[in-house]
Amino acid sequence: MTAQELQHKIEQAAQVIGKTWPLYSFVTANPLSGYEDRSFFEAVEQAGNALDAQVLPEAQVIRQAWEEGLIDSDEIKRLLREAGKTESPEHYLKTLEAHPAEEQLNVNHELDRLTVKWLSLFMDEGMAAWPMPFKEQGFYTAWRKLIKYDEDLKTKSKGAVPKSPEQALSFLLKDYNDAAQATLLERHLAALPGWAGFIKYRVENKSVWNAEYPVDLLAFLAVRLWMAHCLDIPLMPAAPTPKNHALLELKYLWLQAWEGTWQKRSFKKLEDSVQQSKQEKTVTPEAQLVFCLDSRSEVLRRHLEAHGNYETFGSAGSFGVPMNYRNLDNGLINKSMPAMAPSKYLIHEEVIPNQEQGAQAYKTEGKRIKFYTYFLKRMKNILPSAFGYVEGSGFYYGFFMLMRLFNPVAADRMQLQHKTGGESVYEPHIHAIGDLDGSAGEIAFEEQATIVKNAFDSCGWRQFAPLVVFTGHASHSANNPYASSLDCGACAGNPGKRNARILARMANAPEVREILRDTHGITVPEDTIFIAGEHTTSTDNVELFDSAVPESHQAILQSLKKVLVDVKHSMTKERLNEGDDAASLAKIKATSWSESRPEWGLSKHAGYIIGPRSLTKNNEFSDWFSSSYDWKIDNDGAILAGLMQGPLVVCQWINNHYYFSTVDNDKFGAGSKITHNITGKYGVMQGNGSDLKVGLPLQSLMKTDDKVFHNPLRLSTVIQAPKDHITKVLANAPALKTVIDNGWIHLFVMDPEHDNVIEQYRPEATWAKAV
Amino acid sequence: MNSKNPRPGALFKTVSAFLWLMFLLSIGFIIAYYPEAPDWNWHGLFRINGLSLIIWATVTFFSAAVTTFASKYLIGFRYYKRFLALSIGFTMSVSLLVFADHIVLLLLAWLGMGFFMARLIGVNTQWGEAREAAKYCQRHFLTGSLFLTTGMLLLAFSANQFTLTGLTQHFSELPFYILLISALCIIVAAAIQSAMFPFHRWLLSAMTSPTPASALMHAGFVNGAGILLTLLAPLFFQSKTMTLLIIIGGVTAIVAQFAKLIQVNVKQKLGCSTTAQMAFMIMQCGLGFFNAAVVHLILHGFYKAYLFLSSGEEIEHKPPKKNKPHINAIQMVLVLIFGVLGALFFAWITGKGLKLDGGIFLTLIVAITVGQATHNIVKRQELTYLKKLVITPVVFFISIGLYALLYNGSTVFMAGLPMIDNPEPLSVLQIAFGVIFLAGFFIMKLGIYERIPWLYVRLVNDSQPYKKTVLRYKKSSK
Repeated sequence: MTAQELQHKIEQAAQVIGKTWPLYSFVTANPLSGYEDRSFFEAVEQAGNALDAQVLPEAQVIRQAWEEGLIDSDEIKRLLREAGKTESPEHYLKTLEAHPAEEQLNVNHELDRLTVKWLSLFMDEGMAAWPMPFKEQGFYTAWRKLIKYDEDLKTKSKGAVPKSPEQALSFLLKDYNDAAQATLLERHLAALPGWAGFIKYRVENKSVWNAEYPVDLLAFLAVRLWMAHCLDIPLMPAAPTPKNHALLELKYLWLQAWEGTWQKRSFKKLEDSVQQSKQEKTVTPEAQLVFCLDSRSEVLRRHLEAHGNYETFGSAGSFGVPMNYRNLDNGLINKSMPAMAPSKYLIHEEVIPNQEQGAQAYKTEGKRIKFYTYFLKRMKNILPSAFGYVEGSGFYYGFFMLMRLFNPVAADRMQLQHKTGGESVYEPHIHAIGDLDGSAGEIAFEEQATIVKNAFDSCGWRQFAPLVVFTGHASHSANNPYASSLDCGACAGNPGKRNARILARMANAPEVREILRDTHGITVPEDTIFIAGEHTTSTDNVELFDSAVPESHQAILQSLKKVLVDVKHSMTKERLNEGDDAASLAKIKATSWSESRPEWGLSKHAGYIIGPRSLTKNNEFSDWFSSSYDWKIDNDGAILAGLMQGPLVVCQWINNHYYFSTVDNDKFGAGSKITHNITGKYGVMQGNGSDLKVGLPLQSLMKTDDKVFHNPLRLSTVIQAPKDHITKVLANAPALKTVIDNGWIHLFVMDPEHDNVIEQYRPEATWAKAV
Repeated sequence: MNSKNPRPGALFKTVSAFLWLMFLLSIGFIIAYYPEAPDWNWHGLFRINGLSLIIWATVTFFSAAVTTFASKYLIGFRYYKRFLALSIGFTMSVSLLVFADHIVLLLLAWLGMGFFMARLIGVNTQWGEAREAAKYCQRHFLTGSLFLTTGMLLLAFSANQFTLTGLTQHFSELPFYILLISALCIIVAAAIQSAMFPFHRWLLSAMTSPTPASALMHAGFVNGAGILLTLLAPLFFQSKTMTLLIIIGGVTAIVAQFAKLIQVNVKQKLGCSTTAQMAFMIMQCGLGFFNAAVVHLILHGFYKAYLFLSSGEEIEHKPPKKNKPHINAIQMVLVLIFGVLGALFFAWITGKGLKLDGGIFLTLIVAITVGQATHNIVKRQELTYLKKLVITPVVFFISIGLYALLYNGSTVFMAGLPMIDNPEPLSVLQIAFGVIFLAGFFIMKLGIYERIPWLYVRLVNDSQPYKKTVLRYKKSSK
């Protein structure tokens, strides 16, 4: 077997596992992305068997939905009948309930334990003050040089450990034929999918840690298999017991009935809203605000529109800027756009002319924070000053503990952090992706104008108000390893304000506007100014980065700010289902260290609408994502193609992630936060040690250990556009078409040329009247 | 329940309010009686003295803080109420320990602490690894109880005294071998409770407990050893086992502090740190400063409870390379000056280290700490030299001052207890450990250890959780 063949086999086998993202920039990806070429049911059955995971809602989740009336009785009866099942729904629910999950002994317990022991030591990203020796030589070599001292494992009996992972694997796999090798590799990767998935992340996303300390799946498998060899256990893991096919089919019927019920009820609401909007007259808005398509924006948009003459748009929270961002504080570069596409630009923060003093103050503050952090860490580590340190500092910890218990808001202000984000003294500059030090200068105005034009297009936007706000979003929570899972999903788990700021700066540039007018035929009035803002989703506070707003716009700005405060109050009342103190309750939730559910994130989402705001303006759609789109300005369907291949896929990833994290929270989620143990600064394990957790924690999805909050349903997407447009987009996007044809997304069209009737997409581009 | 904003249960809130009330009450008592602690005894069953009030204030503080935290943090947990019940059980056991005079009550309290703590570790009974961890820890705690019972009953029957008050007055009448055997048994019980090497593994296998229970464990349960040793202080003088305490503590302190450096999981890292800190506490006992040990366990409790409760804050994107600035001559001089000044201030304000006794050792620790802190301050470029020269003494003055306040205060308040502030004369062993600690300090500062791979693997294996508590089970759906 050549090295290439081996590499190829491993790549194939790795389809069985997803990617585990680090928690400092959490991405809600589809854990079953390697299965998207199969129909949803086929995929979940295969993955369920390979990973020994639950892949469809379990009986008690269905029971809860059934009892809460979320599954229409006629709907499930119809589906059961069509499947030739003649008993009552209750009967089949009982059948499911009669087969609960069971705890079993892990036969490869010792091998799994040793694999995690060595991997977690190697993968550490700065938790340990004494890192693993020989780490810089890569995982396999470091392990090989240390394993001889490990009394847990007798390696001597098997002779010298081979010098390279290729040699080790070739030697161990020589007695297996090709098919058996594939199965064997697959099963070993599926044994610890979280850890293997993190290796996949480090390699494929070119983590800076992997550049210094390389590890890949080849090394992982070589180490694991050699240890299995030394433990004298069979190299070929036993096949997991296949899931009961009939039970899976039954669960799938229930899932479809649940989805069908949601669609029927939500489409009714949508049709009502569309009816009402026909009678409305349009007024020129005082200001326009663009939000992320995130379902959390819907509430804000609705309240904002109710409070004043404002027009709102929904867009992907990265605002169409395919960029990486260099962090001002530590110089690290993060992706700030949907994780599946490549970035094209790199954003540097530069001091705004005449703001050198403010920037200096910001820098000094940053240095002070760094110093204290370093100081506290060093003192705890060194023998014997750790003992003296505890005695000298115990009182401060006691005091701060009381503060955080009884006044979390004040304690939050005392944390080591910047008081402001530096937005008033720094401005973002856009460079080509390779321009790491920013020496090549910003990209040309023509290119900037194209980015801005695309952003306008994707919102179906041609009339500009005097004040336009691009509003990114981020969350604020305390003591929360999953904080970044509440940030903007379209920005790869980062705050969206960075994208909003660069877009606003480009759109304000006179040179860009000139090109927009001359080349693209888009006229931005001279008195229109663009600014950025940030919606904090846990408090519903909206901050506007308004330092550059001229006197002429102050009146509009100030009244908008006032309205935003009112909106915060009315919105938190709705979001928390609380009284007048809702806004301060939200503030406490966002700062309290004992709050395991600072906000519900995207839980409960189930739909995605692509169409103008007028469609959804007259009802509540807080369980929908929403992208503004006007088919009338999209003659060739190019804008729609962009939306379907960008935001729609982001929404599908989010949706699948929420779905699988809910149906098997241990395997695809992260289990309960209350027993989390953070490892290596990037991830969590349960208890004393476990597989690395890949998804959202229980507290993000469930009301209690037994009751779900998020309804695990596949995304139902409604697009208002002529059917031909959609068919054409799909014809040119085979990957997307596969995903839709295979039932990972439910696609519906609301055809404006046919009375806005909602019809469901079927494979081979036929359409059927929606339920 | 308002599922959009779930709130703590009423029972939980009532209990934590009650615990806060108890805490305030005990603080009130202490203030009212200070400096003369009461010495009440009820039929030889219960007693209240300076130590019991101080420890009770500590225990109620941590229980109250942890239940307040958990009331919100554990919302939706299947065993929400069970957690509360077990925490109350634990708190009551510790309360019984500090108020017990009759040794049967004391033994019951010890057993109860272990019983409730083991159940908190395994509170999630549907989780196989948690059940294994609970079993494993319970085995340790039962063994500890067994040793304690043996030691105590041996003393009690030999002296025919069944109260602590009676017993501590009659040690001198007992034959030496009885004293020695009892003391050894009791030291083993203490060493298990505070996870001393080689009994440390239970603590590193106990992370299956919900985070607030860990806070209670590391700020409450492990302190049992300090309390026990203090209650029986005269026994260790008369059985000549003070040296043994220094050795157990000293060795564990060094091993655990090194083991902490290699940990990659936050909770195991905190676990190693707790073992090291408890080791230092036992060392303080061995030096004759039982009062200092009591103060240490309180302050360590604040520190460790805080770090556990905030252990969700360890996610961070760090760059891979770190630069280690080296120390220069001016910095070295400053380190020395401030180290000596800090030590002198400490010695003057606490009275420790003025005579040729074990206090010198503790003063040395202060000198090193201050020196280390000075180094950390002066070597960073973020601050100007002027700021460094101002900040450094201010920080030390306040920190040492606060420590001294608690130390002197509790020493006065516990004055009624026999031999708890009775420094051992300076010995060769103490000097040896002093030298080892100093050497350890320089080894750590210079990073020499990083070049010893076998030591690394050894420490890794010695700090692994018990096998059956990791990846032992899996859940399989149908």
